Amino acid sequence: MKRIYCIVEKCLACRSCEIACAVAHSGVERVEDAVKIRPLPKHRIRVESIGDRNTPQGIRSIALQCRHCEDPLCAQACITGGISRDPETGAIVNNPDKCVACWSCIMVCPFGVIVRYEDCRRAVKCDHCADRDEPACVEACPTRAILYCEAEDAPIPVE
Amino acid sequence: MTFMKIVIIGNSAASTAAIETIRAEDKDSSIVQISEERHPLYSRCLLSYYLADKIDKNGLAYRSADFHKKMDVQLHPGRCVEEVDPAGQKVTCSDGSAHSFDRLLIATGSSAKIPDNIPETLRGVFVLRTVADAEAIKQKLSGAKKAVVLGGGLVGMRAADALCRAGLKVFVVIGSNRILSRMIDYEAARIVGTRVRDNDIEVMTGSDVSEVLHKDGNVVGVVTDNGLMLDCEILIVAKSVRANTGLIRNTDIKTRRGIETNASMQTNYENIYAAGDVAETFDITTEEYTVNALWTCAVQQGRIAGQNIARRDAAGIPAKYAGSVAMNSLNFWGIPIISFGVTVPEDESRYTILKDSRPEQNVYKKIVIADNRIKGLILVGRIANAGVLFSLVQNKMDVAPFMDQLLGDRFNFGHVVRHGGKPVLEKYYRGLST
Ligand SMILES: Cc1cc2nc3c(=O)[nH]c(=O)nc-3n(C[C@H](O)[C@H](O)[C@H](O)COP(=O)(O)OP(=O)(O)OC[C@H]3O[C@@H](n4cnc5c(N)ncnc54)[C@H](O)[C@@H]3O)c2cc1C
Repeated sequence: MKRIYCIVEKCLACRSCEIACAVAHSGVERVEDAVKIRPLPKHRIRVESIGDRNTPQGIRSIALQCRHCEDPLCAQACITGGISRDPETGAIVNNPDKCVACWSCIMVCPFGVIVRYEDCRRAVKCDHCADRDEPACVEACPTRAILYCEAEDAPIPVE
Repeated sequence: MTFMKIVIIGNSAASTAAIETIRAEDKDSSIVQISEERHPLYSRCLLSYYLADKIDKNGLAYRSADFHKKMDVQLHPGRCVEEVDPAGQKVTCSDGSAHSFDRLLIATGSSAKIPDNIPETLRGVFVLRTVADAEAIKQKLSGAKKAVVLGGGLVGMRAADALCRAGLKVFVVIGSNRILSRMIDYEAARIVGTRVRDNDIEVMTGSDVSEVLHKDGNVVGVVTDNGLMLDCEILIVAKSVRANTGLIRNTDIKTRRGIETNASMQTNYENIYAAGDVAETFDITTEEYTVNALWTCAVQQGRIAGQNIARRDAAGIPAKYAGSVAMNSLNFWGIPIISFGVTVPEDESRYTILKDSRPEQNVYKKIVIADNRIKGLILVGRIANAGVLFSLVQNKMDVAPFMDQLLGDRFNFGHVVRHGGKPVLEKYYRGLST
């Protein structure tokens, strides 16, 4: 199954992916329209630091998003049955009509990549931009640090 | 063994997870499923949402309507298993029908306990455990003005919330000194309690119902042990639950608070498994055997049982359950609350306790640590990355390197990568969540 991978050495922590993600899920096309929506559209990818001046490898960051896990804990914890694997794409999807905002998925996601939606009525996460050819974050990354590919083609984790 | 006769008792969280894992491995064996409840597979956790009209009856469904057909399971709804015969490898139902098995899963869950002094046959006395219970409460709602809820746990508070939304004046009677006492501590309960009172729900702690008042077979009120008289047409009893072990009372299957299980989810009979609310498991935070009667625990135990039931040869490696953890998530009038494990240790001196209390923002965090391992936590108001902390609990990770950052609102998976390095990152890349 294709997944999104972030090459740590190339990530500048510019957060372009976060903006692209928020816009892609906002219902409008342009950033300047998306910023007018209240509350602000939420991104499902997040850039986090994994090293600073005090760590051996120095400053490093990574863009984190849902891994569409092999045995997803979120689906096991979901009390509605709304989180399941899409039999066609293999992606883990959250049915917005089923979600009751109990946050059980947030309770167990070991990567912290499921977030409360703007209106706090449902949980959202990366959906691989199901309605686009390529995920918006991949397209937006200026250094091509973000890839959407099969595991064999993915970068090996850094030391 | 190639073809097996598998019998599963129960049609809920644990049994569904077991069926899915069995069928992922084994398409041929026969699966007979027996369930006392007639209602199609649904999630019990949603009953309070149904009561509050936040979802309709279809919204209760846990899987699609064709689930049992797709899984090639022969479901017998509306039948109660009365006897299990471990030696004869067969179960007998109340209607006299019998089913023999090669492997059996007991996933009969639990029932609400009703104290002896509460006459459950009175009209207006309810528990909230099944669809039938919720329907009965719903029918009584119109015309009712006041309700008393006995018990301030997750089910009690959710029921109180639902009744309040239905327009009733609700009074909650609680034995302990705070609401949600098994989930959160006093300080957290105070924050949540403010919101409860804002919604005009009254809470009386440290008390119990000593007498139920009735007229012509209908509840008209209760008297509490501190002498208060409360009018009500509805009394919901939500004190605690009891494992449904009646069907094995005449066997030598070992039980304590629930059916005793090993890490493979086997009972003392190797071909008889138990999972979910009926099963006693090892709790990794308290390091004691207990029943963690929770949805996620039931699903995880059902999965382990299913994997082992599907294993044909004894030589294969059995799937092992890492152990259960009390884990609760509740969204109370917009205040999210998550808790894990030991939240109020008996002997505080043996633990390091980190706290961040911001009641004016409805935020409270507490992390309970022993030997540099997180044993439990409470998050109120700020729950982002709760699962990252949970993974530290589950993996018994040494948190000494980032102890000072655990409470921060910005604590996230990046901190775990910093200290766990390549193996942690590799798990992330490969999508291995356990
Ligand atoms: C209102 C409510 C809200 C809840 N909310 C949450 C929540 O938010 N989060 C959470 O983690 N947990 C919650 N729980 C707890 C959760 O629902 C249970 O932990 C979970 O349902 C356990 O699943 P189970 O498969 O073990 O058994 P159960 O769900 O108890 O199901 C048992 C099954 O066995 C059948 N059965 C029983 N005895 C027999 C017999 N003798 N013969 C044949 N069939 C039998 C029953 O008909 C049923 O199908 C809630 C519970 C309630 C009641």
